[in-house]
Amino acid sequence: MNSISDFINPVRWASSLGTNGLFWAALAAVPPLIVLLYFLKLKRTPLEVPSTYLWHKSIEDLHVNSIWQRLRKNLLLLLQLLLLLLVLLALLRPSWKARQLTGDRFIFLIDNSASMQATDVGPSRLEEAKRRAAERIGDMDSGDVGMVISFADRARVEQMFTDDHGRLQRSIEGIQPTSRPTSLLEALKVASGLANPGRSSQDVTDFQVAEALPATLVIYSDGRFDKVAGFSLGNLEPVFVAIGDSEARNVGIVAFNVRRSETSADQLQAFARLENFGAEDVEVDLKLFLDDHMIDADRLAVTASATRGVVFDLGVVEPGVLRLEAATGDHLSADDKAYAVVNPPRQANVLLITAGNEFLEFALQTDSSRAMALVDVKTPEFLDGKQYAAIAAGGGLDLIIYDNCAPKEMPQANTLFVGSMPPAEGWSAEEGTPFPQIFDVEAEHPLMEWTDFGDVKLAEGTALKIPAAGSPLIDSDAGPLLGVAPRERFEDVVIGFSLAVWRVGNEQGGLKGYIGWPMSQSFPVFVRNMLGYFGGDPSQAETGGFRPGSPVVLDNPSPKTELSVRLPNGKTERPRQTASGKSSFTETGDLGVYEVRSGKETVSRFAVNLFDAAESDIRTDAAPSLDIGYVEVVAQEGWEAARQETWKWLLGLGLVVLLVEWYIYNRRVSL
Amino acid sequence: MPKTSNLLSPELLARLEKMELISRKIFRGRMKGERRSPRRGQSVEFADFRNYVAGDDLRFVDWNTYARLEKLFLKLFLEEEDLHFYALIDASLSMDFGEPTKLQYAGQLAAALGFIGLIRSDRVRIETLDQQDRGHAPVFRGRQNLWRMLEHVEQIEPGQTVTLTEGIKNFCMRNSGKGIVVLISDLMDKGGYEDALKYLSAQQMDVYVVHVLSAEELDPDIQGDLRLVDCEDGDVAEISVSPALVRRYKQTLAAFVDSARDFCTRRGMVYLLARNEVPIDELVTGFLRTRGLVR
Repeated sequence: MNSISDFINPVRWASSLGTNGLFWAALAAVPPLIVLLYFLKLKRTPLEVPSTYLWHKSIEDLHVNSIWQRLRKNLLLLLQLLLLLLVLLALLRPSWKARQLTGDRFIFLIDNSASMQATDVGPSRLEEAKRRAAERIGDMDSGDVGMVISFADRARVEQMFTDDHGRLQRSIEGIQPTSRPTSLLEALKVASGLANPGRSSQDVTDFQVAEALPATLVIYSDGRFDKVAGFSLGNLEPVFVAIGDSEARNVGIVAFNVRRSETSADQLQAFARLENFGAEDVEVDLKLFLDDHMIDADRLAVTASATRGVVFDLGVVEPGVLRLEAATGDHLSADDKAYAVVNPPRQANVLLITAGNEFLEFALQTDSSRAMALVDVKTPEFLDGKQYAAIAAGGGLDLIIYDNCAPKEMPQANTLFVGSMPPAEGWSAEEGTPFPQIFDVEAEHPLMEWTDFGDVKLAEGTALKIPAAGSPLIDSDAGPLLGVAPRERFEDVVIGFSLAVWRVGNEQGGLKGYIGWPMSQSFPVFVRNMLGYFGGDPSQAETGGFRPGSPVVLDNPSPKTELSVRLPNGKTERPRQTASGKSSFTETGDLGVYEVRSGKETVSRFAVNLFDAAESDIRTDAAPSLDIGYVEVVAQEGWEAARQETWKWLLGLGLVVLLVEWYIYNRRVSL
Repeated sequence: MPKTSNLLSPELLARLEKMELISRKIFRGRMKGERRSPRRGQSVEFADFRNYVAGDDLRFVDWNTYARLEKLFLKLFLEEEDLHFYALIDASLSMDFGEPTKLQYAGQLAAALGFIGLIRSDRVRIETLDQQDRGHAPVFRGRQNLWRMLEHVEQIEPGQTVTLTEGIKNFCMRNSGKGIVVLISDLMDKGGYEDALKYLSAQQMDVYVVHVLSAEELDPDIQGDLRLVDCEDGDVAEISVSPALVRRYKQTLAAFVDSARDFCTRRGMVYLLARNEVPIDELVTGFLRTRGLVR
């Protein structure tokens, strides 16, 4: 204790005097009131006596100084005054080390991402954060309002602004850990909604929608996330409470997937990568289970701050769920298990209608393509036959490729048109342009993955007009050359240039080289992507799966039945289905294997794994800080030495005084 | 004895039987010679001889003297001169306190002294201060009247309409004769006891003042903040009991008792402070004997 201002909570003192002076004045008036009541003595016990004659005589000369004698002699009054003093002191809330808690609006941001499950502090980091937040709420003045937001990759408002501290405490209690990555930005946006209201319009004569309400932003997190860019705190006063230990140990599985062997397609291999985020070398026992039966085990030495990979040769395995468990004994258990799904191999049914296309046919006949798809090749005359009509209407095909030909109407299948236009609304072609220059490729679309168009030179191309719902995948100076557009539950891809190869002669008339897409490596990659995208790539399905919280697009093979997903915790969710038969499933917060069912039949399974080095690396900085916009928020120091509240002790002492008074009153002990 | 009374126990009665009331005043003036012996009945005590005159009762002629002197002499015996014993009981409400109540105690004392009187064939009259309002008080004589006297005493109820002074004044006007009067009272009268006692002392009576106080009055055991209510006039005294106040009260009480004793002594009255817890036989056979009322 340094001074009296340390002893008596200065904040409360100051704010109370400012806002509630009347209250304190009333309190100060209580002691004189008690003394006054003693003089008035509202209740005296009546007692009948033979005669008051002698008593009158006796008290006559005592009357002169009786007031002071009563005060001096009355133990009960003294005890009552003492009790009152203790209660008043308790109301002042003296504490030994007062924290600077300013403001009357608080927003509590509580990180419940995967790394907050670490057990290096308390029961877990999240529990510690909840405990501290609850403690802070307990310190709030009555009338202060608070708001509780939990955040991982998404922010969730647990409790809107309220001055009901009990509700705040309960909403904090209700925050559950998640396995999601961390993103502070969304939580900050939610929090700033009230503190930094925007303008309702750009018109300068407009008034602001709401008055800006400054608030104190208290962030409880381990700080395991990147800088928050593009956000201005404005009226928010940030306070960062760092949770966690910079010495925390963790060894996590950061990758786990299953691939078909390079050499033989029916052999499977499982790859896992472990990373040691601690400062000590560790040995980790790994166990691999297939549907709860252990099929392999290994011991891996991982040096400090390094990664080690391991390969399990599985051979031929039945479809099922692979689970890798690492016995690490570290502070975070969420990344000690990884799941992978081995789905039954499925080949796409592809129909190629062409008058003859050497390059395309060759690309569809490679080993890897044959593993992915069964390709049937027909001539354009086939389009007029009854067999085609049945196939086109039946929907049994995954993909129909029309090479320089077009059907009369669109089939019930995904389509690829090369050098021709689909007879569907919205598609049209312009005049051909010689030597178009490709300048943009939509590389993020699955069809264009791993393709490199830098070496592609085209002799001619036709700019496409793509339906409004579609998007161009290859753009050139002439216009879009490759586009994709949805149609009911299918997609149509149109390539606006020929797959032919041109000889290029030099000035002497000799051969300089060949130009055309098939000459580029990107062509077979595109073909493979296409088979995978439309047909269901077996290797794709056998990968490590998805990250927690990421959306998963589910395809329903029979759109009439309802799709349902069984979560790892046993619950069943029914994702909303679009007309195209696809649905986006976002409830992927839990780690484990999700089972997709159509009716009662299991359609597919997918795994959700942490696989996030940022979350697995649970070491906090020695001097934790957050970068929000251009503001660095340094974690509060000395937080552990929270202030020692003494009001409870004072009240307890007051209770003891009350008991003593009661005892004296009943035993009629007198001085 | 077939009957018993809760006023006087048989044992006490047996002890009281051997006692007698003594009046210093009456015998001093009236007795011839130095006779201080108790009277034993009309035919026992010889007083004198005188000559026979016609008409005298022949039964009183002393035939022995006639035989020797052949003259008729009449044998004179003591005239029957009895003692008047008055017990004056203060039956005010303030006497109805204590365990036993002061009034019960006063009744016991009056009955005990009255019994001694009865045994010695004295005239015994037991009155309350407001006896005028209650009706004529009977006079008892002879031990056969013991039960009547006890009944009379038992019928005395607390609550009287007159003050101490008034009551004694009335008593003195009704009873002008000589005798022993024992006033049994707590003397707690707001008007003071001095005037009352002056009336008594003017009566030429042998006056005994038995000042009865209860243990609660002598040694109050009270605590806290109290509103004391006077049982007679409803007067209120608000006190906060403290050791100092209790000390003060005891000093006042002692001064009160001392002044009463002084007052009585100076006027030839015998003062006796009686605590209601002292057994009545102890009081009679002990204190009153030393004071000379009985022997």
